[in-house]
Amino acid sequence: MRNALAIARKELGIYFSTPWAYVVFTAMLGISSFFFVNLLATFKEVQGLARVYGWARLPPEYGQFKNLTDGIVVQLWDVIGVVTLFVAPFLSMRLFAEEKRNRTFELLMTAPVRPWEIVLGKYLGGVGVIWATLGLTIIFPLTLSLFGSSESGTALEWSTVALGFAGLLLWGATCLGVGMFVSALTESQMLAAFLTFAILLPWMLLRGLAQSAEEPWRSIANHLSFSSQLSTLSRGVLDLKALVFFFSVILFSLLLTHRTVEAQRWA
Amino acid sequence: MTAMIEVTGLTKRYRDRVAVDDLTFSVPEGEILGFLGPNGAGKSTTMKILTGYLPATSGTVKVAGFDVFEEPYEVKRRIGYLPETPPLYPEMTVKAYLRFVASIKGVRRGQMATELERVAHATGVAEVMERLIQNLSKGYRQRVGIAQALLGNPPVLILDEPTEGLDPSQRAEVRQLIKGLAGQHTVILSTHLLSEVTVTCERVLIINQGRMVAFDEIRNLAHALGQGDQTSLEDIFLKLTAAA
Repeated sequence: MRNALAIARKELGIYFSTPWAYVVFTAMLGISSFFFVNLLATFKEVQGLARVYGWARLPPEYGQFKNLTDGIVVQLWDVIGVVTLFVAPFLSMRLFAEEKRNRTFELLMTAPVRPWEIVLGKYLGGVGVIWATLGLTIIFPLTLSLFGSSESGTALEWSTVALGFAGLLLWGATCLGVGMFVSALTESQMLAAFLTFAILLPWMLLRGLAQSAEEPWRSIANHLSFSSQLSTLSRGVLDLKALVFFFSVILFSLLLTHRTVEAQRWA
Repeated sequence: MTAMIEVTGLTKRYRDRVAVDDLTFSVPEGEILGFLGPNGAGKSTTMKILTGYLPATSGTVKVAGFDVFEEPYEVKRRIGYLPETPPLYPEMTVKAYLRFVASIKGVRRGQMATELERVAHATGVAEVMERLIQNLSKGYRQRVGIAQALLGNPPVLILDEPTEGLDPSQRAEVRQLIKGLAGQHTVILSTHLLSEVTVTCERVLIINQGRMVAFDEIRNLAHALGQGDQTSLEDIFLKLTAAA
């Protein structure tokens, strides 16, 4: 375990001493700020309309704008989930591909370090970075709670917000797991990023593709789609199914990566 | 006494060619063995198999009594390895890099500082500890590579072209360093520079196209070929590798 932590520390050190992580941070904050401001504007507009006409006269889908949590935060979490999907491949791509490029893979494989320690250490390092990226977005609910108010109680329903955020963290860890496995398959970082993206995006959109399919494929695709599983969590519903789903994907990715690293011994 | 390194019938076959062909040799504890051969002869491949990076197609490799394939962990704990290309992380500082390698080699935290200082001084990289590896010259990078192999004071050292890229005075320093390791450590070093082998090594293994063509003390090799004591290693080498 000590070796895994040493490797995790090394990965984090490299992430934070090169520009790449900071580019990702900027991109995340930039894009989510944009959506945050838009959501805020829509919220104010709808609230204004409601004040004039009353909630009963507005179309039903405007109902979500009754409070800050459903009106802004939940939708923001959805957007950030998508941004994470785009951003994660760029963080995970270097995990193994760069080792092979640098010829440092030989160092790891000839040191008294077991393959699972290498996989776990790199995974922890990667998750550290993506959680740091996601952690930056807490500023949005914080801002809302400072300046916002609601008819009763706190400005935000913190349990919903927290659960949604936890779902995002789990989602980030999942994307990174998939990305790490792909990174172990190739020496080229760009290829790793591209392939990761090519796996994550269709998986996310599976539900949309399922619409035109017939049963039972439609149900299967619906359940396996990332967006279905993620949406329950972002709404603040603690759905055990979703948790098991994501943990399974993570575990599977780690196992596959371990296999790939171990395969070097049998090359 | 069993030898520190025992290689028996080592063969490495790729789909269309044989990289190492039935290699058998042993290295007693404390000896420095020179690995010689033309480019592509199979020196690096043999070293990669010895250190557990590549599996052999057939044959056995034992280091300190442990089989590399059966108990790789035990072997790796006892080996310091410098590959052909030094395994460096360009974005790290020398100090951070050496600390990382030391920790994955099992150096305890309490001994970390002394161990880093020891190898830094031995290889002459003490003055560049705080610099990023990507900013170092080739000579310094090579020396950092040697330094990482020395971390943890492993009983066996496998060095693939350790003086590659060094200028003559640096080469002399590294040669002295390696000579000083004899007795305490068992060393296999590969090189193109025959002059280096004569200075540092007692015995020499010449490999050509995967096959061992000579394995003896330099002096004896000259006699075996029917030449006088004064024959240079270069002549011996050229003679033995010309056949192919």
